[in-house]
Amino acid sequence: MKKLYSNKYIILSLIAPGLLTFVFAILVPICLSVYYGFTDFSGIGAANFIGLENYTTLFKDSGFWMSLRNSLFLAVGFILIQHPIAIVVAAILDKLQGKAEGFFRCVYFIPNVISVAIIAYLWKFIYNPNFGLFNKILQSLGFKGDVNWLGSGNAIWSVLLVLIWHGFGWGMLIYYTGIKNIDPVLYEAAAIDGATSAQTFMKITLPLMKTVIQMNVTMAIIAALKQMETVYLLTNGGPGNETQFLANFLYKEAFKSYKYGYGNSISVIFVIICLAATVILNKIFAEKDERRKRA
Amino acid sequence: MNSDIRKTGKSGKIVLFICLLVIAGIQLFPLIWLVDFSLANPNELFTSGILVWPEKIQWGNYVKAFVDGNFLLYFKNSILINTLAVVFVLLISVMASFACIRMEWKLSGVVKTLLLMGMMIPIHATLLPNFVIYDKLGLTDTIWALLIPYIAFSLPQGVFLTSSFMSAIPKELEEAALLDGCGIYRIVFTMIMPLMKASLVTVAIMTYLNNWNEFMMASTYLSTKTWKTLPFAILEFTGQYSSNYAVQFAVMALTAAPALLIYIILNKYITKGVAAGAVKG
Repeated sequence: MKKLYSNKYIILSLIAPGLLTFVFAILVPICLSVYYGFTDFSGIGAANFIGLENYTTLFKDSGFWMSLRNSLFLAVGFILIQHPIAIVVAAILDKLQGKAEGFFRCVYFIPNVISVAIIAYLWKFIYNPNFGLFNKILQSLGFKGDVNWLGSGNAIWSVLLVLIWHGFGWGMLIYYTGIKNIDPVLYEAAAIDGATSAQTFMKITLPLMKTVIQMNVTMAIIAALKQMETVYLLTNGGPGNETQFLANFLYKEAFKSYKYGYGNSISVIFVIICLAATVILNKIFAEKDERRKRA
Repeated sequence: MNSDIRKTGKSGKIVLFICLLVIAGIQLFPLIWLVDFSLANPNELFTSGILVWPEKIQWGNYVKAFVDGNFLLYFKNSILINTLAVVFVLLISVMASFACIRMEWKLSGVVKTLLLMGMMIPIHATLLPNFVIYDKLGLTDTIWALLIPYIAFSLPQGVFLTSSFMSAIPKELEEAALLDGCGIYRIVFTMIMPLMKASLVTVAIMTYLNNWNEFMMASTYLSTKTWKTLPFAILEFTGQYSSNYAVQFAVMALTAAPALLIYIILNKYITKGVAAGAVKG
């Protein structure tokens, strides 16, 4: 029996499909990116080795810094706007019970199941200066309603709004599940002690949700770093690089500007930033947890 | 449990309920607006009201969307590719998890960590190199150009979820089966998999949600219609009917419909699946 568990051929046959897919679709491409990142490959013709030139150019490229700034902006937007609303709504929903609870939970999640392609085009129409929903609402409220929502200065806020709207249900659902896992006895005890809803929320719900919040915050930051699809279709990083993000930036440089080598160097930095962000966030939260446990 | 809401009083309750309704309105209104305009005459879009009341409901918009958007072909491709991706992800992740959790070999921990690392790698960082690889291997414009990355990027989460559920299954069960002369493969596919039904549903839902709406890889690796998926109905349509907005609205509504229907029917499972997947992932 022990022999069966350590049979090399069986182990190999079980792990091979997964490992091969990983190597072929993720590991090899990243290694290839590292290689192309050191070249001036344009997509066709020869690739000349140019050392670190792509990287020195990248760190001087305003598009790169703009992308990072925008990711930070999104992350802050998610954490300060989307998540507080999501957590409060989840707490209210938890208290509703019955049909209404299921109804709202279902409705809030609907934008999430709709393709980003549809979401992006739909919002492009909503922001349309001529017949868009937003300008029409402004007009019906007596304003002039000729705002260029995707124009300079407004665009990044418009992008943030779409993403908050689209991802709201997802974040809410996770908080909702977290709240459902809280022992109802605690709420009953609080009610007997005469605590108000607000007090119960601040003193019981929030502290017990700490790990869920940490997880959601981590995911929000990573999602802000990885943002691509919505921006690609909504603004393609424009006007200028105002709504640029790393993924969209590398795509644009490689396929629109034919700087394939340069695009790959952005890919490499992109991977490093995502890995580093995940590791650092996990470290921060793990350390905090430990300190709390020790205290 | 609802004792404290009683304390809030009736007026407080109504205020909270209205808040929930307003948010529901915000979440749904853009979609209502979409359906409304998809049934209107393109000229009616420029009227001043927020919603239009079409003089004559323009079902023709949907006919155009269905035919010229290649809806059937893309829908069929989406179903096929996503089903295959889900099946492969389930099989491969259960096998890999079993190998890493139950089988005894030196590198099991290292390999598992390696597979899970995939979760941290941004998909879009592989767009450029994969394009070159698939081009060299002649895989562009084949079903593999989508299947391979779809499986690969759903696999880490699959392995994560299945391995955490698998380690909760008591080992004694398999050991008894082994004594009866059962082989490892039979144990994995006929004993372990049925025991993990709930977590497999979660993995299937997460894989489906990840891949159904994907279009970046698809538009990079595909050039002809043959394997294009549902999002292309919209991506291609906007050029073709660039001035007929109502038809564009119709194609968007039509393309959103399948996922929306599935969601409404399977709402309970999807909610549970996402919650389980996210909390564990």
